[in-house]
Amino acid sequence: MFDLELNIRSWSDHLRARGNFKETDLLELENHLRDEIDDLIEAGLSQDESFLIGVKRLGNVNAISEEYSKVNSENLWKHLLIDPDHVYGVSRNRKYIALVIIFSLLAGTLMKIPELFGFKLFNPADQLFYFKNLSLFILPFIAVFFLVKHQSNWKMTASILGIFFLAALTINLFPSYPPKSTELLTGIHLPIFLWLITGAAYMGLEWKLTGRRMDFIRFTGEAVIYGTLIFCGIIVLALFTETIFRAIQIDLSSFIQQYLSVYGGCATAMITVYLVEYKKSVVENFAPILAKLFSPLFLITMIAFLFVMIISGKSPFVDRNFLIGFDLMLVLVLGLVLYVISARDSHDNNKLFDYLNLALILAALIIDGVALSAILFRLSTFGITPNKIAALGENLTLLVNLGGLAWLYLRYLVKKNDFPHLEKWQTAYLSVYVIWMAVVAFAFPIMFRFS
Amino acid sequence: MNVSKDLIAASAVPLILAILKQGDSYGYSIIKKVKELSGNELVWSEGMLYPVLHRLEDQNLIQSYWRNSETGRRRKYYTIKDDGLKELELQKKQWDMVHSALSKTWQKLNQE
Repeated sequence: MFDLELNIRSWSDHLRARGNFKETDLLELENHLRDEIDDLIEAGLSQDESFLIGVKRLGNVNAISEEYSKVNSENLWKHLLIDPDHVYGVSRNRKYIALVIIFSLLAGTLMKIPELFGFKLFNPADQLFYFKNLSLFILPFIAVFFLVKHQSNWKMTASILGIFFLAALTINLFPSYPPKSTELLTGIHLPIFLWLITGAAYMGLEWKLTGRRMDFIRFTGEAVIYGTLIFCGIIVLALFTETIFRAIQIDLSSFIQQYLSVYGGCATAMITVYLVEYKKSVVENFAPILAKLFSPLFLITMIAFLFVMIISGKSPFVDRNFLIGFDLMLVLVLGLVLYVISARDSHDNNKLFDYLNLALILAALIIDGVALSAILFRLSTFGITPNKIAALGENLTLLVNLGGLAWLYLRYLVKKNDFPHLEKWQTAYLSVYVIWMAVVAFAFPIMFRFS
Repeated sequence: MNVSKDLIAASAVPLILAILKQGDSYGYSIIKKVKELSGNELVWSEGMLYPVLHRLEDQNLIQSYWRNSETGRRRKYYTIKDDGLKELELQKKQWDMVHSALSKTWQKLNQE
């Protein structure tokens, strides 16, 4: 039996999916179709004949949709510039933009304060100090931005700001003796730890929910992509400024180093956070495509790497730089995999990227296995150092993460469990990272006597 | 007879304005009137009428409002505005001019 109502609905859904129509436009077109069908039925045609002829007379869906896009295109770009929810949205939006500007200036100024105590940003001797503290100059402001946005209660605000304060206090009070490995390790791990704490501010009171944590992973991925783009823009601006002023014999390089790089860097971070959070419709169209573009490329690189390593017989056991490279690549790949998972469209039945993701995870697992054996080898031959223990811990947490993901992905692909199961496991695993990062940043210096 | 696409597109605006001058109407009924008037010779791709209507509304020539029909269906009616009437007069003059020019040439062709 031909279901007329169902067919009319699916026709209008088909139009709706093109996105060029307003709801009222669709209603108008749908009513036109209904009028036409009524008349045809009255003339003696059956329901399905009338439907087919009606749809045919209305014309080619692509052409109609294109015409509508011309009429409605004004609205399309207005959506990009103006917050959709009216006056309230506009004033709220202004408030956030004001916050972004103020916080960028505050963060930049905070970064200049150590200069009063004799520190110099580009002095090699002070490099470690700035490296260690870099995240403390910017992340608290991002966290406060989210706390303001959520109008968080005092308990949440106090805990998050308390953690930032304690972290700043501890790492700067810790002594440091050559070869300063633990201080460097703190510098590497603290930003990740603090970023996850900032994540708690981002997620607000629902920080325990899988969905919110998935949002945070997604937010992280998009912030990285957009931050990089904006930062490249700032660099181009700086180079351009320096070049044109040099043409009139004015040297701006110290101004650029002293001010533009500091304030520009802080502004990059704040603007990125704002853009990713409030211009979602712009970001969402772009970032997943980039991620999908790069995941096959990473897969090719990793497989090529494994292949060449085996063929050439070169052992990565010898050089410690190899290990750092390994870990960086693994973190990048894991980030990519997680981002693709978080940006996944649950209604999309195309499983190509699921298979690709699984392949990436498996390749990363093998590389991680190689790295682990290299670390164990170095540990047994050269003895224990904080660097090696930290690397061991990192690779173990990554191994468990990748292994778990691979297992759940496989089960998902053979339909043994559903996708939310995988997301739940992954988001729960985030707490392992928080703990490990905190251990390396705060407990390692004590364990290894600040060496 | 197949009327060329360009001619259909060019004649759409004066036809719509002329029909609306006779009284408010909605999309489907405008299409029916056009068919009637042209003896089923002018066949529009019906979906294309609406973008044209919306553009006319943007140009402030016509105005729309929603009303419930007897069958309970919500319909978007269009009504012609003063600017629309002026535009219709202008188009009428232009078409008359083209028409008279063409008529004269046809006559000459017939005399030869």
